[in-house]
Formats: sequence, C-alpha cells, structure tokens
Amino acid sequence: MPLLELDGLRTGYGAVPVLHGVSLSVEEGETAVMLGLNGAGKTTTMISIAGLLRPWAGRIHFDGKPIHGKDARELVEMGIVLAPEGRHVFPALSVQNNLRLGAWPKRRDAGLVKRTMDRVFEVFPRLLERRDQLAGTLSGGEQQMLAIARGMMASPRLLLVDEASLGLSPKLAQEVFETMRRINRDGTTVVIVEQNAGVLRIASRAFIMLKGQIVYAGAGEELRRGGELRKAYLGTPD
Amino acid sequence: MLTSLVIGVFQGATYGLLAVGLVLVYKGTRVFNFMQGEFGTVAAYATWGLVANAHVPYGFAVLAGLACAVLLGLVVERLVIRPLLDSPKITLLVATVGAALLTISLTTLFGKSEGRVLAPALGSKNFFILGAGVATQQLLLVAVLAGLAVALAYFFSRTDLGLAVLATSQDAFATRVVGISVPAMSRFIWGFAALLGGIAGILQAPIGVFGPGFMTGLFIVPAFTAAVLGGMTSLPGAFLGGELVGVAQSLGIYYLERFHIPGTADLTVFALLLAVLLVRPQGLLGKEA
Repeated sequence: MPLLELDGLRTGYGAVPVLHGVSLSVEEGETAVMLGLNGAGKTTTMISIAGLLRPWAGRIHFDGKPIHGKDARELVEMGIVLAPEGRHVFPALSVQNNLRLGAWPKRRDAGLVKRTMDRVFEVFPRLLERRDQLAGTLSGGEQQMLAIARGMMASPRLLLVDEASLGLSPKLAQEVFETMRRINRDGTTVVIVEQNAGVLRIASRAFIMLKGQIVYAGAGEELRRGGELRKAYLGTPD
Repeated sequence: MLTSLVIGVFQGATYGLLAVGLVLVYKGTRVFNFMQGEFGTVAAYATWGLVANAHVPYGFAVLAGLACAVLLGLVVERLVIRPLLDSPKITLLVATVGAALLTISLTTLFGKSEGRVLAPALGSKNFFILGAGVATQQLLLVAVLAGLAVALAYFFSRTDLGLAVLATSQDAFATRVVGISVPAMSRFIWGFAALLGGIAGILQAPIGVFGPGFMTGLFIVPAFTAAVLGGMTSLPGAFLGGELVGVAQSLGIYYLERFHIPGTADLTVFALLLAVLLVRPQGLLGKEA
C-alpha cells in the first residue's frame, strides 16, 4: 500500500483550474522528486496534499486513509508536513523559536522536541551557529534551510519540500540535496518539488508535471539517464 | 510639579493596561480595536451589579466580571471580526467602533445613565506620595500592571502559545503550515485582550464614579496614544507609552491651567499623539518584540 496516493486531483484558485486530474503514488521510505516548468502546478499539488488548498475533485489517501478535505492542522498531526516555497519563515522570531513552532504538534513532549532539535542542528550546523538570530536576517539559502528544518521538527512521516534549491548556488543546492538524503535515511518519506534536475541523484522515484498533469512517472535513475526524455519535457539536457 | 508627576504615573497605569490589550489585538490580528474600553466597562458593571445589588463576595464578583468581559470578547470575535477577516482593515476598525457604541447603548439601557460607585478592592485608605493623594486602589492598579508586564514578557518569549500568537501576526500562511489553527488563535487573542480590558475596567472603576462607556470615553484615546507612542506592536512600549501619556497629561494640566486654557488634559494627549505621528510614526519601540 502506498503511503501517499493521489487519484484524479483537480483544483485551482478562484475559478481558474490549475490541476487537471493529477494521479500519483509514493511508497513509504522513498524520496520522490517532481520536476516541471514554472506554472506546471507543482506547488499547487503540494499545498493541496498539505491541506492548504481544497481539492475540487479527486481523492488523496495517506497511509490508506482518505485525507482530501481535511485541514492543514489535522494533517500536520497525522505527519504530513510542508516546507513551503518562498521560505515563509517567521521573520521576527529567532531561528530557535522558528524551529520550536515547527514542533507545534509535538509541543507537549519536551523530550522529543529537544532530541529533534539536536538532530536538526546536527544536520544543519549553520542554523546552530545562528540559533539566536532573527530568521528575517538570514540569507536566502539559510532561510530555505530553516524552512526545511522547521518541517523536520514535527517529526513527519511525509515531508513535502517545495523548491528545495530555488535561488541557491549549485554547491549549496547539492548540500541541500545531500541533507534531504540524510532526512530520508532517518526514515522520513520525502517528496521534493524542483526545477533543478540535479536532484534526480537522490530520487528513487520521479514525476514530470506539465500543464496540470503528470506526464511521466518512473524510477529516478531512469529519468537521470534518459536525457532525451528530460529534454522533451523540461527543455534542459543537464 | 513632583505632585503632578506622581498623579501622572498612577493615571498612566490605566492607559498602559488598556494599551496592552490594544497592542495584543493589533499584533495578532492587525485590527485597531475600539472595543477594548468596553470590555472594561462591562466587567465593571457586572462586578458592581454583583457586589452592590446581590452582595456577592468581592473576589467572586471580580471573577464573574472578568468572565463577562472574556465572553463579550469571544462574541465580538465570532460575530463581528471573523466574518470580516478578509475585509479591508478600515472596515474592521469601523466594525469595532460599532460594537463599542452598541455596548455603550446596551449598558445605558440596562444600567441607566447614572454614576455608579464600585467599592475599592482593598479598602478606601489614602496615602500621600510627594504631596499627591493616592488611593490604595491606585497602588493596586500599578502593582497589577507591573505584574502583568512581567507575566506577558514571559508568555511571549517562553511559551509555545505566546510564540504562536506572534507567529500568527507575522505570516498567516506559515502559521497554517506548522499546524496552528488560525481561528483558534484569533479566539484566544480576543478572549485574552478582553480579559486585560476587564482587569483595567474593574481596577479603574472604584477610583472615581463610573457610568456607561466610561472606559471608552475617558481612556481609549489616551490608551491609543500610549500604544502608538510605544510602537503599536511592542508590549513594553505600551506600558512605557501609558506612563508617558499619563505623566505628559498631568504636567500639561499643571502648566497650562494657569493660562486658563480649557480642556488641557485632552489637549495634551492629542498634541502628543499628533507629535508622535509626525515625528516618529514608528513609535519609541516600534518593532516586533
């Protein structure tokens, strides 16, 4: 049974449809990557899964249970956590307090919060150095890391990372991908939305999205080798 | 002049207490809440009604009064604020004015428009500090203000709930992302602000005679001035602003009355508000704290 399953998901903003029937499935323990051009509907798919946008039609199942129509608060408690695009950190709170809020669903278990924060600082030593700094004063790359780290704080079963490497240098992007691999090894299923095909290196499964639909689904390795395929859909050979 | 200073400090405590409630609502929901004074008036009426008419012990009456204020806060949040949450902020501002005027009308209807006297909490002894007559009730008010300042500072820097309130004011989308219910936070903020307003009303009422709308009529403008002076989002700023407005008002009365200028108290407050807005609109401590 897949951990996450989308079946014919349709939604949009106002009266404008964005997703025209998205179907995909991700097994527990996988790192899935969703590639696609700007405006393909990748972010819309992610925020729909996270309960931040209501589906118009279609079904979403998590661990076999239907979750379409549930709100974000319930889904976070169930273990689905989004690291959103555009950073969306709390700018006037310290790095540490941002992380603390990430652990909101686990806030009554002080021991777990402490252990998770230690682990997060181990994975992101840069955030440890800046723990008392206001999040709004971090560099773009650091805010990106903070958004992912904040997602880890909820100890999710499924971590959705929207635009992991946007605006990062190629070196820093590789660093973030490597971090995603470590998070996955800790037992978290990860879905990453990307425009940078370099992410395929860590992907066990890959999807390509085009105009609100999944046009390719396969093993990450297959897409990494198949330059022609990528070129056809994404227009980039690398 | 020292006497005026002391009077100002005690007067300023009420402004500060009310301003803290204004800042809390503004921080959490970006609404200028003209209803804040009425939470105090309603709490004062409920307490007075129970003490003077039903002879309920003072402590219970105070708790009941505060419960009424919180209930009113939750009702206003549900019926007025929530349905208008996506409207322009000016609409929300006018809506809180409307809610305040309705509350004043209702208290006039049920409480009659005559002055009422609520007994002070700790007896009616007076002290003299540097020539200024100070009632025990005023000392209590300042003590409560100081206690609340410490408690609120702790709440916003050390507790998860306090952080969640700050988070709501900074990024509503991110607040939902981490699993915090935004409507629940809105309820909490309005209930908490109403509690602070209720405390201000119950502490202020015994210092003079009170009537319908007294907290709005006499205190809301100085309290807004205090909040703006403090930077609108800063809790320490609201406390400090309250004291500054109290002292400025008191000194204004002291210096201007010899020139036989009428309305010196209001004149000073409005002049101060105007000066702040023109010279330092971000206030003294104008940043998120």
